[in-house]
Amino acid sequence: MRRNHFLLGAISGLTVAANADGFFAKALAATSLPGLPAGGDDRVLIIVNMQGGNDGLNTVVPHGMQQYYRYRPSIGVTPNEVLSLNAQIGLNPNLKSLKGMYDAGNVAIVQGVGYPKPDHSHFRSTEIWQTAAPDRYESTGWLGRYLDSAGLPSTNLFNAVALAQVLPEAMMSRTVDVPSIAQLQGYQLASDRQAGSRSAFTSLLSDARTPFNSPYLATVAEIEDHAQRGSEELPKLIGGYKTDASYPATPIGRSLALAAQIVGSKIGTRVIYVQHGSFDTHAAQKVTQDRLLRELSDALKAFYDDLAAHGNDKRTLTMTFSEFGRRVAENASRGTDHGEAGPMFLIGGGVKGGIYGDHPSLDDLDNGDIKFTTDFRSVYATVVEKWFGKPSTGIIAGTFPTLTMIA
Amino acid sequence: MNVNAAAPFRPAGPLNIATALQPYDGPWNVRLAAHLLRRAGFGGTPDDIAKAAGLTAGTAVDALVHYSKDNNLPGAPSQLDDGYAQQRELLRKAGRAAGGVDDSSLQMEKMQLQKMRQQTNVSMVSWWTERMIRTQAPLQEKMTLFWHGHFASSALQKGITPREAVDQNWLFRNNALGNVREMTHMISKDPAMLKYLDNARSNKDHPNENYARELMELFTLGIGNYTEQDIRESARAFTGYTILGPLRGGGFYFNGRDHDDGMKTFLNARGALTGDDVVEIIFKQPAAPRWFAQKLLNFFVYNDPEPELIDAFAQVILKNDFQMSPSVSTLLRSKVFFSDRAYRALVKSPVEFVVGTHQLFSIKDVTPESVGALNRMGQVPFHPPSVKGWDGGATWLNSQTVLARENFVNALVTSKLMMQSSNWLMSGPPPGAREACDVLIGTILHGDASPASATKLQAYLDGGDVSANAMLSGENYEERMRGAAYLTMAMPAYQLN
Repeated sequence: MRRNHFLLGAISGLTVAANADGFFAKALAATSLPGLPAGGDDRVLIIVNMQGGNDGLNTVVPHGMQQYYRYRPSIGVTPNEVLSLNAQIGLNPNLKSLKGMYDAGNVAIVQGVGYPKPDHSHFRSTEIWQTAAPDRYESTGWLGRYLDSAGLPSTNLFNAVALAQVLPEAMMSRTVDVPSIAQLQGYQLASDRQAGSRSAFTSLLSDARTPFNSPYLATVAEIEDHAQRGSEELPKLIGGYKTDASYPATPIGRSLALAAQIVGSKIGTRVIYVQHGSFDTHAAQKVTQDRLLRELSDALKAFYDDLAAHGNDKRTLTMTFSEFGRRVAENASRGTDHGEAGPMFLIGGGVKGGIYGDHPSLDDLDNGDIKFTTDFRSVYATVVEKWFGKPSTGIIAGTFPTLTMIA
Repeated sequence: MNVNAAAPFRPAGPLNIATALQPYDGPWNVRLAAHLLRRAGFGGTPDDIAKAAGLTAGTAVDALVHYSKDNNLPGAPSQLDDGYAQQRELLRKAGRAAGGVDDSSLQMEKMQLQKMRQQTNVSMVSWWTERMIRTQAPLQEKMTLFWHGHFASSALQKGITPREAVDQNWLFRNNALGNVREMTHMISKDPAMLKYLDNARSNKDHPNENYARELMELFTLGIGNYTEQDIRESARAFTGYTILGPLRGGGFYFNGRDHDDGMKTFLNARGALTGDDVVEIIFKQPAAPRWFAQKLLNFFVYNDPEPELIDAFAQVILKNDFQMSPSVSTLLRSKVFFSDRAYRALVKSPVEFVVGTHQLFSIKDVTPESVGALNRMGQVPFHPPSVKGWDGGATWLNSQTVLARENFVNALVTSKLMMQSSNWLMSGPPPGAREACDVLIGTILHGDASPASATKLQAYLDGGDVSANAMLSGENYEERMRGAAYLTMAMPAYQLN
């Protein structure tokens, strides 16, 4: 859905106009398959949300800092477990596949990413990362604003796709309706075998002159229309993709397999959002985080092998984020509470691998939390300007220096 | 701070704040009775609606608020196994005794326990869903669902046992229209909540802040009404609020040795505060009645309510000392509740959609298919996605969940249950397509369809869309009526509450 429904215009081949009564009238345009859209070979961004607040200190481990082991007596990653990157930091041993990609030069690690006056609430901090607005409430997401500015064809129902149960705020846009598809199975109408029912269905969904007014009416009608047409189109658009890749049988494995299929089918999709988690490890952290990191790392490896086999690895950038890192000191439950900064990974054939930014000090804490060293909006601005080649003005409020991992 | 400042889902038109919460005294009819039953319950059967329409707005609300507590429904899921926690603990101990290496028989027992847990889980969801369908006290179940989404904890996580999840569910049901301050005290000592937000493992050396934070952020005050320091201090106050081990019977237990009895400063109060003190202090904040006012307005009336409406309803809550029965009663009988602006101004939640559809056709049994459909639509009772509960509103709607709604309806209208239940849809051939169309739009949508849609539906009933098919007749009426019911329920109006 789009968040701002004041704006009525041509959306996805439908003309939506406000009539004199303030009700919505909708004229259905011919809805034939658009075919392969222009720009099918363009660059794609995959966002992986490590939802719940991933513990950055046990992901990119500061094994060279003695303080780390003092704060983490029971859950610290030991020096002989860590996959060392240099004398100071290394990767969690469950990121073995990712380490391989790092060694091949395809992974950039940005250390200590955060924002000023960090919020420790999952919900508010997630909102801040999704809207790129730490100091105010924004109704659109940063990717939504990119989609608004990208001049994408309004006939394409798949300019961006969220592989999630609920549309993330990052994708809230004024002009582009982003479908949420948790999995392909279930993304279809069961009644399609009856032609009569189908055609009546189509016409009844466009009922707009109802004897009541509702702030949700136009939204419901639009989503029902898009769901119906989209579910018919998507299998046709991506059904021809062939792959030998084998993905781990995990939710993130399945999501990235579908992402590779969408990217590889070249249907004009620019952004795909993927959920992974929950990383909210207040208690018994190790079991949960180790598993989630391993699942992510192995799925990313399969994903890039698949992309590379089809020549899509260089046009596909993957970026991870999490709403916050966690408290430096472990708690009584062998877990960690909500903290502040954390690392981000940028992955792909178009990335200049390496370590970016400084690791936050463990000697100079903000009330028990590490202080951020790189603003997340610098990373976003880098993606918008260097990956998508768009000025970040109007997408990311404020001026933030770009980083150099993307040429 | 107003999080929803930019949300565009507040109804259009002006609010008359002076009269908004006064009793509604306008015309009373089936359409408004159906509105009341959709909001204060799950929609009801056509008979329920007809009965409510025969009362007045005020007496219809009274009947909902003053419900009888005995309703002869099963008090617990059939498969709720009380031995689960003990058995799990014994297996864990056996594993530890074996040096952490489970032999194959131990592994087998663990797998069986896990399988039993899954079956219990489906049984729990079915039990509550069926209760919502069959209840004669719909507002009690609706408020139970409200509290479940408010003080949200998810049954399958953090070692919460099925019994603890059901006990929490009864805490909500028994206090459905009770005092919310008392309920907050109870939930602070509720085993499922103590596990879910890790307070059971918090002690004075390492206070765990999870419960302390969510207590204020999500349960009582909202962001902006406390500081990070308040969270740290209240986490200290809640140390020692824990539970007994499963082999000692479980249940709340205050562990004095783990409790930090030092001085704390919390929301400008100072003392050797306990968790109980923290709750009392919280409910003295002006933000507390406002927090519950906006939650209830969003749940019952419309989304993104005006600040002045929140303030006015907060005064009602405060005047009633956080008693929900008179507060909710005032809201449900109010002018703003029955206004055009509130009518169909909410999105049906998946539970409202599924339970309401079952009631519409008097299908009283819940099937695994209905539970699966709830999952695909994005709301399974006992399993909120996070401590924040379900966001509701526009987040219910996306390509996937909307298809799941339509597919659920399609499956239900063609199911054996539909054939076996005696309901209005299958009650015999109507005289003609026009009458059939009136029945469908009247019973399913209470008239909320445009004349153009009625014409299209009539054309479908008469085979107008499929040239090979004959007009509506005694032979084809059953199949045609079911197809038309599906189409009617796919219309946008049916997605709205």
